Amino acid sequence: MARYAMFIDQNKCTGCNACRVACQMQWGLPPTLNYNWLEECVEGQYPHLTRLITPVQCQHCDNPPCEEVCPTKATYRTEEGVVLIDSKKCIGCKYCMVACPYNARMINENGVPEKCRFCYEYVRNGETPVCVSTCMCNVRVFGDLDDPSSPIHAALADQELEQLLPAMETNPRIFYAKKRR
Amino acid sequence: MEKISRRSFLKIAGATGLAATIPVTLKMDFQAFAQSVQDAEVTRVPSLCNGCSSYCGVWVYVKNGRLWKVEGNETHMKNRGKLCARGHGIAYNVYDPGRVTQPMKRVAEDKFEPISWEQAFQEIGTKLKQIVEEHGGDKVLWACHGGKETYAQKFLDVIGSDNYITHYASCFTAKTNIWDKMCGGMYNPDFDNAKYMLFVGRNYAGGIIPAAMQRITTAKESGSKIVVVDPRFCELATIADEWIPIRPGTDLALFLGIAHTLITENLYNREFIANFTYGFDEFWMYNQDFSAEKAAEITGIPAEKIKEIARELALNAPQAFLDPGYHGLHAHYRNSNETAMLNVIINALLGNFFQKGGLFPAATTSFGQPEETYFGSKAEKGPRADGAGVAGEYPLVEPGRGICQRIPDMIEKGRVKAVFIYSYNPLRSSPDPEYQKKIKNADLVVSIPVDWNETSFYTADYILPESHYLERTEHPKVINGNIYWPAAQVAARFKALEAGSGNLDLLDIMKGITSAYGLENLYGFTKEEELKAALGPLGLTPEELKEKGVIELRQSVLPKTTDIAFNTFTSKIEFSLGSWRKEGYLGVPTWVPPLVEPKEKNEFRLIHGKQPWHSHIMTTNNPYLMAITAEKKGTYMWMNAERAAELGIADGDTVAVSSEITTKEVQVKVTQGLHPECVWLPSTYGTFSPKLTNGYGKGVNYNDFIPARVDSKTGHVMGQECIVKITKGGR
Repeated sequence: MARYAMFIDQNKCTGCNACRVACQMQWGLPPTLNYNWLEECVEGQYPHLTRLITPVQCQHCDNPPCEEVCPTKATYRTEEGVVLIDSKKCIGCKYCMVACPYNARMINENGVPEKCRFCYEYVRNGETPVCVSTCMCNVRVFGDLDDPSSPIHAALADQELEQLLPAMETNPRIFYAKKRR
Repeated sequence: MEKISRRSFLKIAGATGLAATIPVTLKMDFQAFAQSVQDAEVTRVPSLCNGCSSYCGVWVYVKNGRLWKVEGNETHMKNRGKLCARGHGIAYNVYDPGRVTQPMKRVAEDKFEPISWEQAFQEIGTKLKQIVEEHGGDKVLWACHGGKETYAQKFLDVIGSDNYITHYASCFTAKTNIWDKMCGGMYNPDFDNAKYMLFVGRNYAGGIIPAAMQRITTAKESGSKIVVVDPRFCELATIADEWIPIRPGTDLALFLGIAHTLITENLYNREFIANFTYGFDEFWMYNQDFSAEKAAEITGIPAEKIKEIARELALNAPQAFLDPGYHGLHAHYRNSNETAMLNVIINALLGNFFQKGGLFPAATTSFGQPEETYFGSKAEKGPRADGAGVAGEYPLVEPGRGICQRIPDMIEKGRVKAVFIYSYNPLRSSPDPEYQKKIKNADLVVSIPVDWNETSFYTADYILPESHYLERTEHPKVINGNIYWPAAQVAARFKALEAGSGNLDLLDIMKGITSAYGLENLYGFTKEEELKAALGPLGLTPEELKEKGVIELRQSVLPKTTDIAFNTFTSKIEFSLGSWRKEGYLGVPTWVPPLVEPKEKNEFRLIHGKQPWHSHIMTTNNPYLMAITAEKKGTYMWMNAERAAELGIADGDTVAVSSEITTKEVQVKVTQGLHPECVWLPSTYGTFSPKLTNGYGKGVNYNDFIPARVDSKTGHVMGQECIVKITKGGR
């Protein structure tokens, strides 16, 4: 069984937003619903500046707070570790939205608090998530942690890694490169 | 609990929905959507993106006759499987409610009535015939963006008009004009093998070429050094080793300082200069006093830093380059021409032409032509209405590109009576929109757009809507240029979606107009026949091209040290231009100060640039890209924090911006990332066609503020020679 994960080297991101719009197209989303986004942090004083752009989306936690709080078990983890929501079971209580420390969820037109789903149906067919394949700076790498030939192995090797909000003990499946600025 | 902010995102979530553009699939949940995609028949058709002039290769995915998405074509040398946000977004313009969906005739100011194609062709053909018979064929003008087949040349040749104008003078004409004169064409950087890359006024992460960013990022990972000089902390600066802000308009001084250091410290490639350049001594004679110290006074960059750049360039040469640039420096200053000349000279001093990690010409090829079917007479051509290439007017401007910003003058002087505008919107992309509106004073104005752009809405007598780029098969394109690639590639757009009956392809529009004019069979071929004829000499077929989308030809431009010759009179790179000397100018570049300078406490130079998710004004009505704008406050004008504090301006404040021609209001982004002397506007906003509802009334455009001037040598607009006064709190 695959264990899907993503590596994001935010040091390489220049903020073009291709990942966001590619995802919207892939999933037929309207302009105001986006399940990945870029957080920008500019620091310093003219002329000594740094700018770091962090791509954020559902972190596909191994220990997802959204799953824990869901009263109907609509939110669940697949065997591969992808966090999904079964819209038929969802009663729209939005508890998952409150519980998610990453603010990854957003109500869709059906009243379901949806989010990034790691392009689940596609990656199971061997495809790459579109946020990964469209990225011109190769910021993102997707793969299977259990498959040594998967590109994510090479990407994670010799990297100092970070995760978002580690204090929350959510154990995300998205690994970030250590900030170099 | 600590949370990721997504601050701005939550705000936009409450914004008004854009019902007309919401895809029907939305009503399903994700699982159902994925299933529907797997169940439906999905076709994949190759095309070329229309987001900017890069024409990146795309695969168009169509499901149940409707656009699903686009993805990058792996082979295409400009994008190598990648696409930027606007590439994804602009595909969706096929469902833009701002599209013109049938031919329109103006019946009153701001009022149009739909007419049939037959009526449109008959009325235009008849009126055009009248104009040509009464005033001559040279009174007909064709204006377009440029860079693709438009079929217009054939018609202009028959009626005797030399008036084919592109948008280049408002974009990059100083670069193409000067490199052509000095080197015989453009040369492009080899990112993969460069150890040191200097980008001055060139932001590949804003004016995006995806493959360039991919290659720059990869080179950086292998240890290549990236230095960005720009008044703004631009997106490329994000990943650069160094950002060096410069006083806007003084890049020429920086280049002169670098050249001076290379020469006085004997760091330049003497052999290359001796063998492959002409005019070095003349250049040095006029510039030997222009030291790095002098450059420092003008640019605000310390002399030691300028010397350091020169030394590091030399240390890594020939695997080092000064990027030749694009829009940034090449239509905006009185010294843009000399700046382009110094760009050539610095690269020549590094001896990096045809060297790994240096500069190379574009690999190219040519297409076959369909058989000629017109055997009638052709009128003798009259002079160019814009004076491009005309003695006593603008002799150094290249005819065939021309001076796009002065069409109203040509009309006023009686040099132009009929104007055709194809896929081009000078009311928004040329300086001074109120002046550009006078295009309507021509006896006949025909616009061929896709959407209700300003030029169509305010000036056209007839609007002939072309089909969207995903709805048409087009003449193939040679894919090359801007970035080094050893082989030329061939690609074409193939029809992926059905157009409505109210839209036609350009070839059919041209056939309709010329037939009604009385020229039978001027274009005696179908698009399919034309495509076959074009590809035949290359040993390719349309079927093969449709299967692959992009086909790479044999490698033809590789590194070399012998047989180096430039396509100039001397076969060398010419530091001194004979054509300039002939017109009474000095042949070599020397320091030229900017035309205008900010002086008062509330005066700034107005500069502009591309935002990564918008392509100038091409994408302003796109709801996906405008949603990013809303979230990022993308319409704001940037201002240096210290200057803002002096004027009591806080982030988000509304200010009045006054130039010599107008006053407009805009909100301010207060930033540490901008040179204090300027304010910066994204080149995207200020839509004023009321039919483009997503963009209408949002933000301002730099063209609002600049008069329609013409540089005397290469004809460009001098788009950043503009001082604005800023007053807090609006007018």
